[in-house]
Amino acid sequence: MRNEKKKTIIKNATIYFLLIMFLVVCMFPLLWLILNSFKTQEDLFTNTWGLPKSWTLNNYVNAVIEGNIGNYFINSLLISVVSVSITIFLSTMTSYGITRLKWKLSGIVLSLFLMGMMIPTYGSIIPLYSIFNMTHILGKYIAVIIPNVTFAIPMSIFIMTGFFSTLPRELEEAAIIDGCSLLKAFWKVIMPLVKPGIITIAVISFINAWNDLLFPQIFLSDQNKMTLPVGLMAFKGMYATDYVGMIAAIVITVIPVIVIYSLLHQRIIGGLVSGAVKG
Amino acid sequence: MDRILRQKRYIFIFVGPALLLYVVFGLIPIIYNTYISLYKTNLLGKKVFVGFQNYINLFNDQFFTKAITNNLKFVLGSYIAHMVIAMLISYILFQKIKGAKLFQSIYFMPSVICGTAIGMLWSFIYHPNFGLVNSFLNAIGLEKYTRIWLANEHTVLPSLIVISMWQFVGYHIVIQLAGMKNIDGTLFEAAAIDGASKWQQFIKIIFPLMKKILMIDSVLIITGSLKLYDLVAVTTSGGPNHASEVMSTYMYYQGFRALKFGYSSAIGMILLLLCAGATLIIRLAFYTKDE
Repeated sequence: MRNEKKKTIIKNATIYFLLIMFLVVCMFPLLWLILNSFKTQEDLFTNTWGLPKSWTLNNYVNAVIEGNIGNYFINSLLISVVSVSITIFLSTMTSYGITRLKWKLSGIVLSLFLMGMMIPTYGSIIPLYSIFNMTHILGKYIAVIIPNVTFAIPMSIFIMTGFFSTLPRELEEAAIIDGCSLLKAFWKVIMPLVKPGIITIAVISFINAWNDLLFPQIFLSDQNKMTLPVGLMAFKGMYATDYVGMIAAIVITVIPVIVIYSLLHQRIIGGLVSGAVKG
Repeated sequence: MDRILRQKRYIFIFVGPALLLYVVFGLIPIIYNTYISLYKTNLLGKKVFVGFQNYINLFNDQFFTKAITNNLKFVLGSYIAHMVIAMLISYILFQKIKGAKLFQSIYFMPSVICGTAIGMLWSFIYHPNFGLVNSFLNAIGLEKYTRIWLANEHTVLPSLIVISMWQFVGYHIVIQLAGMKNIDGTLFEAAAIDGASKWQQFIKIIFPLMKKILMIDSVLIITGSLKLYDLVAVTTSGGPNHASEVMSTYMYYQGFRALKFGYSSAIGMILLLLCAGATLIIRLAFYTKDE
């Protein structure tokens, strides 16, 4: 009996050791990044593994002032927030229209949208470039917002239709009998009830828009309009030897997503996994 | 009530805008792309119809075939990492481990972080002077194995594959764990009563019943590795000497650097078809085994 107990203890210890080692592998690069953002350049060279000898915020100051990271941050925020807002608006309306309105083609239209979850963006980039060029919106924020929204809609509709189909039909019926129009009933009665779904699609499409490199790299040419990922590449091109400044710029880029993830990870994981499993 | 829900104008109001946007900027461009890929064009001057010549040239283009080969190596590396490592870790987490949720959330985190930032972070980890890899090798007395990892034609691809393994392994852990949790728990109880070992349970219960998730995960791994862009674009942009070229970076190069848009859109087409083809083949492969 005692042997048995000893065996389970050893087994558990091995399991936890393995899990924690793996945790270290996952987290160490990020931790290393954050620690090094407070080091001086010499400190980085001579003391790669250790804590900063003296903590400095200079790298952040340099990243913002010299590297223009503050400007890129605002551009990223603007593009992401506008993209997310339009995505929420369009995909909740459409999901309601598909699950609740009565029309013959609703099933076909839904599968048409869901197909979009599998289409890689590369088949559309050059045509979009050409269309944006002809309509003179190339280089404007909207040239990134449009593809952001277009490619966020399929997964958002997939998640939202799931939420709408669980709501009882009596809800908007009651509101309409009370004299509400259907649109008003949708905004006042239905929308508040699908808030968890809206939060899920909001964070997922925000993270995707925030992280994306390809669209802003291709559709924006003006340095002043660039987003953080493109800005990071520009930083690398211009200050190739300011390593600590670059590290601070990377931290500025990843921190918002890390914060959002820490707060809402269950929703993000749930949404992404269900979306992936469907697609 | 039904009468209201049947009104055409509501269908237009609710579904119209998104459908219009999706068709105009999502679907029509793919058709347009097929058309452009048959021309020689820089999108500004006149374009010349060349039929399938772009496609023929691509397969005689040693850099493009190199890029496809590299994508396939990414597929292979990711497949090993995500099937072997992710399966092991998710199986451990499945054993009612205290704190499993927390482990899972932390493992998942790198996959939501900006690929560009991850690529730059790792280019520091591989940095010849102060990078973690070389300083670690120096510390344990293996100086002779230090390399300029990302600038060496022989080490650049494996080094990049490691980054992509690191970034996405947690994502696949979570997906496979979700698959295991979907299995009817009473099966394990019955198996335990019958005296089946954990290993037997894994082989006889979990593995077969996870087939659907493994199929989905295979599609994700393969299409993900075919579509890979940020990581390569930011670390090496395909270099040195095309040693880490992938289809997406080559497409970017041919289109937006060389301004050969017809050629570039043919690469886009091939990427699209490869992803669709891989999805179809995997589905068929798993389907026949499934009966």
